[in-house]
Amino acid sequence: MLQTMWTLFTGRTGFFLGLLGEHLKISLIAIAIAILLGGAVGILISEFQRSAKPTLSVINFLYTIPSISMLGFLIPFSGIGNATAVIALTVYALLPMVRNTHTGIANVDPAILEAAEGMGSTRLQILWKVKLPLAMPVIMSGIRSMATMTIALAGIASFIGAGGLGVAIYRGITTNNAAMTMVGSLLIALLALLVDALLGFVEKRMRRRSAGAKRAKRALAVLAVLVCAGIVVTAILPGRHKDTIHIATKPMTEQYILGEMLDILIEQDTDLNVELTQGVGGGTSNIQPAMESGEFDLYPEYTGTGWNMVLKEDGLYTEDLFDKMQQAYNDTLDMRWVGMYGFNNTFGLVVRREIAEQYGLETCSDLAAVAGQLTFGAEYDFFEREDGYDALCAAYGLGFKKTVDLDIGLKYQAIDQGKIDAMVIFTTDGQLSVADVKVLEDDKGFYPSYLCGNVVRNGVLEQYPALESILQSLTGSITDEDMACMNYAVEGEGQEPRAVAEGFLRRINRLK
Amino acid sequence: MKTAIEFQRVTKAYGSKVVLDGFHWAVEKGAFVTIIGSSGCGKTTALKMVNGLISPDAGDVLVNGESVKSHDLIGLRRNIGYAIQGSVLFPHMTVEQNIAYVPNLLNKRDKARTKAAVEKWMGIVGLDAELKPRYPDELSGGQQQRVGIARALAASPEILLMDEPFGAVDEITRGQLQIELRRIYEQTQITVLFVTHDIAEALNLGTMVLVMDEGKIQQYAPPSELLQAPATPFVKRLVERERQIR
Repeated sequence: MLQTMWTLFTGRTGFFLGLLGEHLKISLIAIAIAILLGGAVGILISEFQRSAKPTLSVINFLYTIPSISMLGFLIPFSGIGNATAVIALTVYALLPMVRNTHTGIANVDPAILEAAEGMGSTRLQILWKVKLPLAMPVIMSGIRSMATMTIALAGIASFIGAGGLGVAIYRGITTNNAAMTMVGSLLIALLALLVDALLGFVEKRMRRRSAGAKRAKRALAVLAVLVCAGIVVTAILPGRHKDTIHIATKPMTEQYILGEMLDILIEQDTDLNVELTQGVGGGTSNIQPAMESGEFDLYPEYTGTGWNMVLKEDGLYTEDLFDKMQQAYNDTLDMRWVGMYGFNNTFGLVVRREIAEQYGLETCSDLAAVAGQLTFGAEYDFFEREDGYDALCAAYGLGFKKTVDLDIGLKYQAIDQGKIDAMVIFTTDGQLSVADVKVLEDDKGFYPSYLCGNVVRNGVLEQYPALESILQSLTGSITDEDMACMNYAVEGEGQEPRAVAEGFLRRINRLK
Repeated sequence: MKTAIEFQRVTKAYGSKVVLDGFHWAVEKGAFVTIIGSSGCGKTTALKMVNGLISPDAGDVLVNGESVKSHDLIGLRRNIGYAIQGSVLFPHMTVEQNIAYVPNLLNKRDKARTKAAVEKWMGIVGLDAELKPRYPDELSGGQQQRVGIARALAASPEILLMDEPFGAVDEITRGQLQIELRRIYEQTQITVLFVTHDIAEALNLGTMVLVMDEGKIQQYAPPSELLQAPATPFVKRLVERERQIR
């Protein structure tokens, strides 16, 4: 494992260092804002003691919100991406900052404060010359623990499409690449330790008080302010480049591959720059609002999902409804489906190949006659779902000999070993491409159709007409088998999504 | 003689406990007044009314003929030296920064003048110049008190308020500090209010002694008069032992 991780890291150093930089940027912005804002709030509630209790209760409450729900709450307000991540991280960082500032100031000896007051200091002078310097050790330890926590927590930021090392973790999980997840986690831990050590050093320096140390302290403070200012400025300045296409993908292996294909083709055929936000957590429910607000310009979607989740239509989607859906997208959302890839990522029923050959099975209807002799397997929720096992059996008149609950990761192994004879799969499952099974045709149309295509904002298509032809050029270019093979190349063989995308484009002669 | 501080029928109570009850008293300019009395007799309260840290429930306190209420408190306080019990030097500042605290509040820009004032007052209170970069926790108890006095006097105030400033030092150091303080007083002729609970200290230091009990004045007189003609049984009891010694 360590060997694999090391090879991965040395092979893709640029990728990881880029994520590391982004991670540092997001965390440091949140830390800088929390120091300023939390410090200010901490000072204010110490000066106006009556407001301390209610303020701390509110901040305490915010702190108890689970990070995932916090991100969920924020998406409608600040959208997908770095801004939301920074806001969420700042909210969490506020508590330690406010509390330590308040505690530090509250614990200053009242006799010292009275002496300062009696000597004719104004309230502000007492604050700056006496309270804050004396509270500094407590505030500093607050900053230290807050900074480490923020860096660790920033790992979840990728869930909502922000950058940082969480991208590596999340991508590793979705594409079955444990080494990638481990490298990402390890780098976060190292970063947190490093920052902690650095702040510990600063803390120690602050306690020294020789003349030389004082000069160094001042230099250090100036440096820290400059670094913070620099981070904030670089964060604000280069807003959005003009000619950039923003592409989002869902956290699924095949979408990672499709995203890379689009990136390669658009940058190859046009002068446009592509910004790819891979694996946005929550998929459609988070990407679609960001499309509507213009944060993303296009993303690969599935027709059935568009019909049921985006247009919120009830009932089974079939491709007969495509024109109606296209019209609705155009009229209500100002978006269009462009470039249907050809593959259909839907549910499918498979049987082991020897059984299919033995009984001459081609369609699901064929299965009815022999089901009584077969064992059926699926993950446990399939037996609970409304459109699951019972509905399937009713639609095709199936009655299996036995049913087995299986872990999703083990079902291909189970059918290979003969523990089960039939099971439900996704038609582009990576393992399907290497399994010795036969997919039975859904001849009665029990499952909705989930053809994959790109949903694009009309505005972008008008602005960059070249985009439409590039997307159209991929129409019908990928079959279910192609997609399953590519998924397997990533999940089973550990290839990089980008390499797989390149390989495919080369094969269909789309790579220059 | 001019009056520096005047209390006009001042009353102050904390809850049901009355600490000053129709307190009526005037201090001549240039007097060194020691204030003595049982604990809780209102001596510290009276002291803190002079620089406006505590305000009276009824009555008025005048400084240089003007009511503290109508004074600009910040300006008033910068003109009144204030030294309180124990070590309340600013622990995060050096000796030099502590002494320069009030001068810095007054004239931020004139660094040379502040520096000169610090050196002058360190000399007067008998502190070696090489102690300037030290921090309070690197000083002995006696040195800390000297810094406290220098800090209170650094802006050359007209009035000096001291609340048991030597309460936390040993007997020998205390004796030395008393001699120094008396010498400084004779050099500067400023008005001093000095709260203590040690009758020997009160009699040795003050040109005038104020004896208080339960918020009321028992006697206000020079030390010799106090010893010879105690006005009340309370005063008599208080000076009994000192009379026998002398």
